[in-house]
Parts: sequence; structure tokens; C-alpha cells
Amino acid sequence: MEVLHPTTIEEALWYSGDEETYFVAGGTLMQLDWVMGLRPARWLISLNRLPAMQGVEMVAGGIRIGPLTTLSMLERCPEIAGLPLLLAAVQVTASPAVRNRGTIGGNIAGRRGCLIPALLALDAQLEVARTGVRQRVSLFDWLQTAREPGCLVEAVFIPSPKPIARSTYRKIGYRAAFTPAVIDVAGLISVDAGRIVHCRLAVGGGVAAARLYEVEAKVAGQSLDDIDWSDIHGEIVEAIKAPTDYFRSGRYRRVAAANALVYGLGEVLPKLNELPKRRPHQRRPGLSDEIVLGRRASGKDWHVRPDAPAKVAGRLTYLTDVREKEMLVGRILRSPVPHARLIDIDTTQAEQLPGIVGVVTHRDIKGTNGFGIVVQDQPAMCLDKVRYIGDAVAAVAAIDQETAARALSLIKLTYEELPIVDDPERALSCGAEAVHAKGNLQCEIHFSRGNAAAAFAGAAHVVEATYVTPRQMHSFMETEGGYAFVDEDGTLNVCAGGQHGRRDQMQLSRLLGIPEERIRVVSSPTGGAFGGKDELTVQPALALLALKTGRPVRMQLERMESVVAGTKSSPMRIRMRTACDDQGRLLAQEVDLLADAGAYASLSPGVVETALEHACGPYEVPNVQTRARLAYTNNGTCGALRGFGCNQMSYALECQIDRLASACGPDSLEFRARNLRKPGTVGYLGQAVAPTERLKEMLDAAAADPIWDLPSGLSADGTEILGVGMGMNYQGNGLGTLPPDPGGGELRLAVDGVIEAAFGLDEIGQGLQAAIRNTVAREMGCGHADIRPVTGDTATSPESGSTTASRGTFVVWRVARDAGPALAAELVAIAARLLGRDPDSLTIAPGGVVERTSNSGDLLMTFADIAKSVSPQDLPRAATAFEFPKSDYFEGNARLIFAFGATLARVAVNRITGAVRVLDISQHTAAGPVLDHAAYLGQIEGASVQGVGFTLTEDALLNRGLYVTENFDFYVIPSVQDAPQSMSVFALESLDREDAFGPRGIGELGIGAITPAIANAVADATGRWPEQVPINPEWVLSHLAGVS
Amino acid sequence: MKTAIAFTLNRKACTVDVAATDRLIDVLRERLATTASKKACGIGRCGACMVLMNGLPTNACLLMMWQVDGAEIITSEGLVEDAEAAYVRQGLIEENAFQCGYCAPGFTVTLTALLSATKAPTEAEIRMALEGNLCRCTGYHSIVRGALRAVELKGQAAAASK
Repeated sequence: MEVLHPTTIEEALWYSGDEETYFVAGGTLMQLDWVMGLRPARWLISLNRLPAMQGVEMVAGGIRIGPLTTLSMLERCPEIAGLPLLLAAVQVTASPAVRNRGTIGGNIAGRRGCLIPALLALDAQLEVARTGVRQRVSLFDWLQTAREPGCLVEAVFIPSPKPIARSTYRKIGYRAAFTPAVIDVAGLISVDAGRIVHCRLAVGGGVAAARLYEVEAKVAGQSLDDIDWSDIHGEIVEAIKAPTDYFRSGRYRRVAAANALVYGLGEVLPKLNELPKRRPHQRRPGLSDEIVLGRRASGKDWHVRPDAPAKVAGRLTYLTDVREKEMLVGRILRSPVPHARLIDIDTTQAEQLPGIVGVVTHRDIKGTNGFGIVVQDQPAMCLDKVRYIGDAVAAVAAIDQETAARALSLIKLTYEELPIVDDPERALSCGAEAVHAKGNLQCEIHFSRGNAAAAFAGAAHVVEATYVTPRQMHSFMETEGGYAFVDEDGTLNVCAGGQHGRRDQMQLSRLLGIPEERIRVVSSPTGGAFGGKDELTVQPALALLALKTGRPVRMQLERMESVVAGTKSSPMRIRMRTACDDQGRLLAQEVDLLADAGAYASLSPGVVETALEHACGPYEVPNVQTRARLAYTNNGTCGALRGFGCNQMSYALECQIDRLASACGPDSLEFRARNLRKPGTVGYLGQAVAPTERLKEMLDAAAADPIWDLPSGLSADGTEILGVGMGMNYQGNGLGTLPPDPGGGELRLAVDGVIEAAFGLDEIGQGLQAAIRNTVAREMGCGHADIRPVTGDTATSPESGSTTASRGTFVVWRVARDAGPALAAELVAIAARLLGRDPDSLTIAPGGVVERTSNSGDLLMTFADIAKSVSPQDLPRAATAFEFPKSDYFEGNARLIFAFGATLARVAVNRITGAVRVLDISQHTAAGPVLDHAAYLGQIEGASVQGVGFTLTEDALLNRGLYVTENFDFYVIPSVQDAPQSMSVFALESLDREDAFGPRGIGELGIGAITPAIANAVADATGRWPEQVPINPEWVLSHLAGVS
Repeated sequence: MKTAIAFTLNRKACTVDVAATDRLIDVLRERLATTASKKACGIGRCGACMVLMNGLPTNACLLMMWQVDGAEIITSEGLVEDAEAAYVRQGLIEENAFQCGYCAPGFTVTLTALLSATKAPTEAEIRMALEGNLCRCTGYHSIVRGALRAVELKGQAAAASK
């Protein structure tokens, strides 16, 4: 591709003329088109050196806008302020930064820009230039013609409109801001002497841009007061041509567009079913000992995290940021199809490409070619079969990215496609193609007690529903990547973001046939994980390439590759039948869960087992019958994601609770109170559970929350319906009774006089370093500055277990409690010896050792003095190792330690678009003492909004085994405008006197009950419980409308 | 075909021999080893690669090198001499605005431009300015609090200098 830079329009036109040329202004839309598959033209003709193509001027009869005027210039331009329709369109087009580049000309020439409906409604005209010809055509007419390479838009002319009586513009998207358009609408009405002189209606965005001339004609000539808007609504629905795609139906686009136009011009809202009658909320007294978290509220407990300054300044070197001179660049060749028998992998040509240093395939694997945390069913490099579109087949190491990419295209795969298994139900049906030789049922789990059938038969109230949850993507900002090298003593170093270095080390050892002690894994710092870096990602390919080439190799997945290759949460269908007696006491629970594992098990068996373990959540149910099945398919691959199945189950359960409460009488708080499990009783599986149960306290806190008193019902302007909902939150910590769950850590004085606190845990953003620093300093009596957390490196930190399952908090606390005093005593002993004093007279203080009775606090010896006074090998250290506390139940996986919470959400349900907006979230949590206020607050807030995404917008969609949502354009995570207007986080810190388990982890607690709180709030507003998330606005609209 | 592109990077003259359509983010990260700018989507959707181009926040993944010719580019690394950036960074640090931090350089660039263009932006203006920056860890509130703290710090400094 080459770029031409004409300086006159005639020169630009001279260059242009065939399909191999393309005019470019900002190029933002064009680059997206390339990603979508538009073949880049051979010649780009830059318009940026053409004179007088930028700016806005008032001319006779209207406004003339240069096509190179950027959208952000338009936004600030006073002339546009008089065209609110256009201004509104500009402000919702792309993002502020893209508007700095994108131009009005490009928005039009792309033919699907969000400005087009507004410009159509304003009857805009284009001044177009062809060689030797200048012409003014209406935008509408121009849009009817095919793209013409030799035709250049020279100006956009907007005629001064007749006095506008009413105008409207609305972009209906997938989230609140910076969203692709589902459909855009624009409309205006001009009135003269009481009669409508013209009406213009236009649509665009997610549909082909069009004027709705027939409908306009019906409106024109009428008196504004006489219009039958419901009739016009029907006409608009009929007039719009809208496609159905993976995200929204054509019907939805048409109805929502009609709603928007009719409301915008006629101020008439769609009909509404009768709203549910809300019971007045009985405000209860709150908890006096809950604390609020925040910089001001936390006061002296608010500390800057150790890694904050470097991260904010961009100085932190992530493992994907390491650049060294000899480093090669690695790339992975992935399967071209979702399911096939591999016949041959021919790498000959790739190996011969200049600049390629190494190519690896399954032939380079010296150990066992299978990995997986639970079962080793995933080949590191495929041998005879590919099972999903992200399966790794080969990898290359090259001198640069370009060469690596070219080499991938030279690897020849011979394969025979197999039928694609793309639905878990069908995967388990008779005769389905087997994804794995042993069949498609990865696992099936049953748990029952009592007599559920008899209990249902005798129940006063039974509710049954099937709840469907999405394939959520972790969406860590740093995609999978890192580097690997073999050092001088032959040790293989693999440095890539992860969540358990020692397990990665073990898995790599098994794959590569190299002893664990010859492999060093560095897994921190990581740019987000959320469970998505728990399983191996790029480590096998990096290791194989480094071993093969003998040179350092780096690699980072592009986002689209990360989407394709990475694990997601298992989509679930949860059929749940729940019964209570006439007093509102739960009698029976029946659950049938079917989950999609995708191509490989990874941690999905653990996810479904954990989901089943939370089938009754925090409630006592005497009769239970549950089953969970996990099916292999060719739908990507799934695994761990924050919440680990609890959040899906709590969505279903907490909706059932609200439904039963509404069926049998008491309010949902009272209903919950009647059914909460009693402290001191055995757990759901009959296992022993830890003390400090705080369910009643959390329910009391929820009952007292001010969120209930905020406005609800119809909003002031009538366009939204507001509701409040809640869910109880109950989540186990640790891996459970069955898997190994080691913990441990080491505290040691380093040569430079700093106390190193070494943990095999990973800093994935959660604030591990702050928690380590605060907790060790508190247990030892030293200052924060005396502590240096050392994490995520098998060479420098001991086994601490995985950074998952909300378990790191306990590990840090336990190590600090056990090893902290031991190291402190040793430091005091050394100081006493050197100073010739009685050790009992000395103690630790910030910076070093002081006299125990000293008032001045003067340091007798600094830690640096102590470090200098002993030889490096004699520097004091204290280590501890233990198993994460386990319960006594081994027939299935059971947790011992739980954290508790109650989550409340207030939502607004939009009557025009069906979209749900979360206004307020309140999170009450009880997880013992808070190790770091900022980290705790951050985890709960961040999990809340991740839960909002799960509930409202996120679903990684596949079609026949291929991802439809390939990047952050159509995989829609919440933007800043989707974050609630308020989030309040409370912590109840107390522990029971006999509680020996210390603070609980809260990494997952914050996401646990967000979905049911939102779903119950939607039901509070509308009377209907959404049984599928993300909540489909079309479902919302269909239940709102109807008989008035 | 390679072509020589000259621009200023963090106030220093810089010439690179690249394909005209190579993206600035790839040149920064792959060629120049300036890795504060991150690449998290590559299609202008997440803002992790945000740089200032002639003073305006711009996605480096949407900048082809021919568009950078002659431009002044400031990355997160180049904000050290910027007074507004100092308030932004201080505010974000005090509020512990970030967790994994991968999006932090991009947010910092966007907020620095906002504080330069607007004397005392409100929460609504801050939210609008950040519509093109995605963060997965925080839920955004801590970042908005950090930005408001930066506005406060800037106001305090202005009051003190009067």
C-alpha cells in the first residue's frame, strides 16, 4: 500500500479513478473496515494537504462544512450549536479521541456513520467533485449510488431549516457510550401557521441509511395536535428495513427506532403494562459497626499502594514490555477450523524463510503433550486433531513481527474437517460427533438429600424457571504474553502473566520433559487476570521456541487472537425448581445444570462443581436434588472466571427467592430471614464450616440500606421505570477439600536492609503488594517502607498456592502472623547481641530496633545496620508452609471458609429502547478484618462493574465454532458511562472470638450477587424476571408493551 | 516498501524507516521500545495506547505512520515535564485509582489533555472525556475520584500562587 499526497483537488482526482484507490481523511473508519474484511486499496490518496477542506462557514442559505473538518472541531463549533440534531449525532459518534481524527467527510463516505441520519433529516447536500465537474447533489441521492473512486466530497452543505418545531436524534447502541449503533434515528418537524410544512425522518447506523418518505408524507400537512402517533408508530415500524444479526433482531431495531422517533417528535411513549404494585419498604435499623471504605472515610487506613506511582507514570515494566536486543518475536499458528482431523503439518517453507530462527510443532514436545489444571486433555501443539478455533498447531520465532506473520502463512496444514459440535445439549445427544475419544460428557455430578419429590408434592408454592448465562470473557487489558529464555546454567526461564507460578512450572515440566528445578517461572506483574490466566496460555509455545532457538523469545497475543484462544466462563443453563410452605419456609430445591466446557476441560469441572455446591446459597433447604453436566463442544474453550460458578448459581437462586417471596406473601427480606442458614450448623454438603457467619447481619444491613428510599416506579419524565433489587452473597474461599491447596511464604532480611516478604502469589492488580506490606508490617511492628513484597517468581518466592479462589488474603495473613513474630524475634536477638543488651528490652519499630520502654522511639539499630553486621548467608529469615484450611467432607469438593454479603442495585428500565441502566449499587460485605482499604474497595467496585457487564452487555458469541465477537467493538464491556452513578461499599470486620481463620478473601465476593440484584430490580420495576443474561432489551420491550 | 517518517517523540526528533501504513503503536512498542503505551485492542476501542498528537488525545493504534509525519507525539513517558500531568498523576495515586495498571498510561494521557483544555472539569465532563478509555479492574469510580482529586490539587495550587 502506498500513500499519495496531492496538494490540489484536481491532482487528487487525477490519482483516483479505479478500485485500487481510496481517499483518506482521518482514516479511522477505513481501518475498522479493513479489520472487518475490506481489502485495503493499493493506493491511499491522503486529502490532508488539500487547501480549504476544513472549517465551517455560514453561507447564503445555510452552512457549508469542509469534509476534513474533524468531529471534535464540529463539536466545538458555534455554528453547529444551532443544529442540535447534528450536534447530538456528533457527540455520540465514536469516542472523544476518535473524534479528534475522524472527519465529517469520512463519516459520510463510509456510508454508515452516525451523522448520516441527522444529515438526512437536515436535507444535507454534498458538493462533489469529479475530474472537470463540480456538482451539488442531495446526500440522499448520493447514498443511492455505488461507491465511485473518482468522486470526492468537496463540502457538505446544510440548508438553513425552516423554523423547527420539534427535532430528535437518538443512537440506540449496546451500551451507554462509544458503542456500535444498533440503529440511529433522526427526525424533525417544521410548522407554519399550525400546519406541519415538513417532516423528515431518517434512520441509519446499524441499518442502511434511509429517509422514511412515506411516513413523512402522512405527517405533512396535518396539525401537530391531530397526529395519531400510534398510527405513525406502526407506519414507521413497517417502513424501516432492518437486518437481524447475532446481536439484535430486525424487529427490535424497527420497534425501538419507532419508539424513539415517536417519543422524540410526538412526546408519546409506548404503551405500558400495568406496573407491579410495590410494597412500601419497612426501613430497619442498620448495623452500627459496618465501616465505609474510601480515602476520606478510611483516614489513616488509606495507603497508597506500592505499585501505584510506577503504574500511573507508565514506568512499570510488564512481562510483555521487556525488550532486549537479541530477542526474537514468537507467533502461534492456530487451527483454521473448529473441528478437524489433522493429517499433516508441513513447516518446510516456513523454516526456509529468511529471518525465521525456529519453528516448533508437536514433534518438539519431549514430555507429555497434554495440559490442563484438572485433566490434561489439551495438547500444547496439536498432533492429530484440532478441537477449537484457538487450538495451537505450530509456533515460529522470527527476527520481527512481519517475518513471523509471513512464516505462519507458509505452514501448510492438511486436514479433514469434522462435524462441528456447537451446542452442549446436542453434544450429549445420541450420535453426536465426539470431540474427545471418551465422549462429550466431561463430567456429571449429583447431590441430593431428603425427599425432594415428596416435598414438592406437598408444597404450598413452587416456582420453576430456566436461567441462561453468557460466555463471559475476562477482558483483562493486557493480553496473554511474555518472554522466555534459557540462561547460562541451562535453566529455562518462562516469564508470562499467570496465577500460579509453581503449577505453571509443574505443567511445563510435564510437557517439556524437563525437571521442575530446571524451569523458572515468573508470573507477575500481570495486567489483569480474573481467572483467565490461571490455565497455561502462551507459556508452552514460548518455552518450546526458546529451547529450540537458544535465544530469548517474546510474544504477546493480539486481542483478536486472545479472544479466539483464551478461556471464557462456561455458559450455563440452570433449570431450577424451588418450593416453600405457606409460611414461606423453603422445602425443596431441584437444580439441573448444563454447562458448555468448549473444547477442553481446564477448570470447568471445578466451576460446575462449585456452582452445585452453592445450589442453596446461604439458605437452609431440607430436600435437595441436583445434577450438573459439563459437555465438550467445539465452542472455544472455557475455564475459571471470577466467581467460579457461584455467581451464575446465585443469579438463579436469588431470583427464585424473590419469586417465591412474591408468591407467598412476606417481603423478600422477611422471606430471606426465615430461611437463612443458622450459624454453627453444618454446611450445605454436611461439612464443617468456619465460624463468623454474618448472614443475618448482612440481611439487616441490606434492610437498612438507603437505596430502598430512592425514587422508584416511573421516572419524572416517564421514559424509565425504576426498581430496586437485592441478592445475598455467600462465597467459599480456597480450592476446597479435594484439590491440593498449599499455602506459605517467607519473610527475610535482605542485604540492603529491607525486609522481603516473599510469596508465590501473583500481583494481578488486586492489591496483593499492599496487603502484604500492611499485614507484615503490622505483625512485625515495623514500617511500611521497611517491607518489600516479592511475588510471582519461582526463583525468589516459595510455594503459596494459586492466586485464585479468594485465597491470597488468608495466605498473606497466616504467613505474616506465623513468620512475622519469628523474624522480629530474630532481628531483636541479633540487635541485642550486637548492642550487648537483653533482647527482652528491645523491640521492632519502623526502621529498625528500639528500646522497648523508649519514649523517644530513637532507633538503636536500623535494619540496614543489622543486615550489614551479618554475612549474607546468615541473614535472618522465617518461613512457613501449610495447607489452606480444609473442611472434613471428601465425597465431593467442599469449602470450609465463607465470606458473606448482601448486594443491592437500583436500575432504570428504558421504555423506548428496553435498555437497563444500573443507577446505584450498594455492597455490604462481611469478610473479617480489612487488610488494605483501597484494595478491598477496588475489588468490590471493580467486581460490581464486571458483574454489570455480565448482566447487561457481555456475551462472547460463536457461530458454528467461530467467534462473532472478536474484539472490544462487539464484545461490549462496560464503559465509564455504564458504571453506576453511585457505588457504596461497606465492610463488617468483626470475627467470632473462637475464629482462627482471620480475614477472608474478597476477590470474588463483589461479583457474586450483582446479577440477581439487577434481575430482581428489573422485576421490581416491571414485574418480570429476566431468565437470560445479558438481559435482552427486546425481551424487556416485549414485556413492557401491551395492554395499557 | 519502507519510507522515512520524521516526527517528534516526547520533544525529541525521531526518524524511523517504516511502511507508511504501519501503526504508531507498533512502532512505539516494537521498534522504539517505548512501551508505556499499551496495545489492548488495536482498533481504537480501549484507549490503552492513547498519546497526544499535536496536543490532542489520539489512539496510537489508529495512526498510520504517514499520518504521523511531521507531528508532535507525546506518550505517557513524555508527560514528565507537564504541569497538568503532575496533578493528574498525584490525584490518581492518592486515590489508588488503578489496579493492574495496564490502562493507566492511556487514562493519564486523556486526563492530562482534559485538564489542559478545561480549567476545572466536573464529574460529568470527566466521564465524557473518558468514554474512549476502558478499564476492566476498577469499575471506573476510583479513576473518576482520582481525576476529581487532580482538579482539586490544581485548584489548590492556583489558589496558593495567587
